[in-house]
Amino acid sequence: MKLRRIAAIWTSKIIGLTCKIAGKQGVTLAGKAAIKIYPDILKELAGDVREKIFVVCGTNGKTTTNNLLCSAIESEGKKVICNRTGSNMLNGVISSFVLSAKLNGKLDADYACIEIDEASAIRIFPHFAPDYMVLTNLFRDQLDRYGEIDITMNFLKKAIKMVPDMKIIVNGDDSLSAYLIMESGNEYITYGISEQYFEEAEDSNEIREGRFCKKCGEKLKYHFYHFGQLGDYECVNCGFKRPDLDFGATNIKAGGQLVFDMDNRNIKANYRGFYNIYNILASYSAAITAGFKLQNFDQILNDYNPQNGRMENFSIGGTNIILNLAKNPIGFNQNISAVMEDEEDKDLIILINDNAQDGIDISWLWDVEFERFYEGSIRSITVSGTRCQDMRLRLKYVDIPSILEQDIEKAIRKCIKNGVGNLYVLVNYTALYNTHNILKKLEREYK
Amino acid sequence: MKITIGHLYPELLNLYGDRGNIQCMKKRLEWRGIDVEVIEYQLEDEINFSDLDIVLLGGGSDREQILVSNKLFSIKDDLKRYVEEDGVLIAVCGGYQLLGDYYQTNNGTIKGLSIVDIYTEQKPGRLINNIIIKNKLFQMPIVGFENHGGRTFFGAKAEPLGKVIYGSGNNGETGDEGVIYKNVIGTYLHGPLLPKNPHLCDFLLKKALTRKYGEGIELAELDDSQEIEANSYIVKRFLKKDINKL
Repeated sequence: MKLRRIAAIWTSKIIGLTCKIAGKQGVTLAGKAAIKIYPDILKELAGDVREKIFVVCGTNGKTTTNNLLCSAIESEGKKVICNRTGSNMLNGVISSFVLSAKLNGKLDADYACIEIDEASAIRIFPHFAPDYMVLTNLFRDQLDRYGEIDITMNFLKKAIKMVPDMKIIVNGDDSLSAYLIMESGNEYITYGISEQYFEEAEDSNEIREGRFCKKCGEKLKYHFYHFGQLGDYECVNCGFKRPDLDFGATNIKAGGQLVFDMDNRNIKANYRGFYNIYNILASYSAAITAGFKLQNFDQILNDYNPQNGRMENFSIGGTNIILNLAKNPIGFNQNISAVMEDEEDKDLIILINDNAQDGIDISWLWDVEFERFYEGSIRSITVSGTRCQDMRLRLKYVDIPSILEQDIEKAIRKCIKNGVGNLYVLVNYTALYNTHNILKKLEREYK
Repeated sequence: MKITIGHLYPELLNLYGDRGNIQCMKKRLEWRGIDVEVIEYQLEDEINFSDLDIVLLGGGSDREQILVSNKLFSIKDDLKRYVEEDGVLIAVCGGYQLLGDYYQTNNGTIKGLSIVDIYTEQKPGRLINNIIIKNKLFQMPIVGFENHGGRTFFGAKAEPLGKVIYGSGNNGETGDEGVIYKNVIGTYLHGPLLPKNPHLCDFLLKKALTRKYGEGIELAELDDSQEIEANSYIVKRFLKKDINKL
């Protein structure tokens, strides 16, 4: 064992611990320190993983898919490394390995489940070659960082080229992801929602990135849509179409819980949000593809309690609070759907920050279908965050009034005190951790 | 009174919240009791410009912009006539670049419509930031967000939409942002442009109404306190100055 490796691990463990005590999310900092001290740290630690490495990639659903996959593999008695908090750029990935290593520098893991940022894959794959990649979807996200979706696709294409032996589990309903993978030459498995669920097969105003065939430029014909560009598509010009699904969901009921059939099993999960069907499908097909039997998959779903602000539940002072991440138009529209599935009266807080990790360009707010809140038995909407003014204007231009409260803790306290006892808090990325901590604090305070 | 807004090719040109510009104009007309119709055109649709009072041409990715530029070229004369007859045209980002003589990219040159005397060249690095500009027509600055790889320069006859007081503008060198020609404005500002700049929105609405119904149109005043607050937040945060002291 090289001393530098041990030094790197110790240093970042100390940083990780200090940041934890300070209440900050110091994960990326720890990773940065580790690779500076020992450039081969990730390569070597990843090499210590005894069996397979999974990476989960895509615009939305990475964290939930990856965490579910990790839980599924753990339930088969395996030791798994996982970046549960969703720190998914190079330094965050390094940290997840380093912080799991023992003080003697050794890593004791059978599997690794690592979510990675789409644009960071090309920086991560030189350190290790994953055995499997899950690609959930490609949506418009953070235009200021990536420029546009074509650029993101090019990054991914280059990254996949580095690992021709990696097997890819791809969302077949997404024309962009499916095109990318079918062209890559890598072996792939597809999943998707086989049948039409939403009545309106017609185009809504929702921005659809992939409405034109990536292969030939012709407008794609859709037999039905789920959301975004996800659905059953076909190009009448060149024949590109949704691939046959290896894992397809049928007989779907979405509401207070999700019920559907896949792979000759009936799935019941106490999750809100139609989009979670994709997350379940993705993690299931990845684990099955890797040879797991998943006899207890129902149990895994039931035990899975998100602790990271993805539909995380709190009960504070008689108010039921759901915290969820909403960071791009498609994600936000899905959040709106999930809120609307709850027919009870509710208060709503929307927090929009424009820090670097959120994307400093907040123009995407105008691509979200906020007008749908009209029908949602919503008693009040409070806007918060650095861009609360923009959010308030966005709502004004669909004739929805809102209350402005820049301080999120005050906003939450007011809703607990004066609200209807049912509160949704939708926040974008940099506010997630802080809001989660405030809610945890309030939980203790009200006990 | 009624205003018809034509949104050109939103299927392809739909980056950066362009729909917000449409929504802003629509609401500000409706709140004043003026009827509005918005027509979204697709590439295969025929456009009768004499039906339109306001035209919006938004931004798209380079690939999509080429598709649109081919189409626009085939209707160039109609669009030019509309502009020369004082039609209101708002062109943002990619749409703005297409108004000029050409857009020289790393992968070749896209021929422009030559409606205004500008040209664009791609240079290394993108200009990405919040931006604040000032036009002496208005007391309040115009704020927005810019994200462009192309640098736009003026020929002899072009007038800027404003002077850059924060950010990069047309090219990061000359201190100009956007262009005004007759009732055309071209700009790199999105975010979208109009909701935080109600003065500019009303300026354009008034132009369109005057063109259609003649002089003497006055727009009823609206409560713009939230718009002004959002605008001055940007000014204060990035310039660290009060809006009244500009």
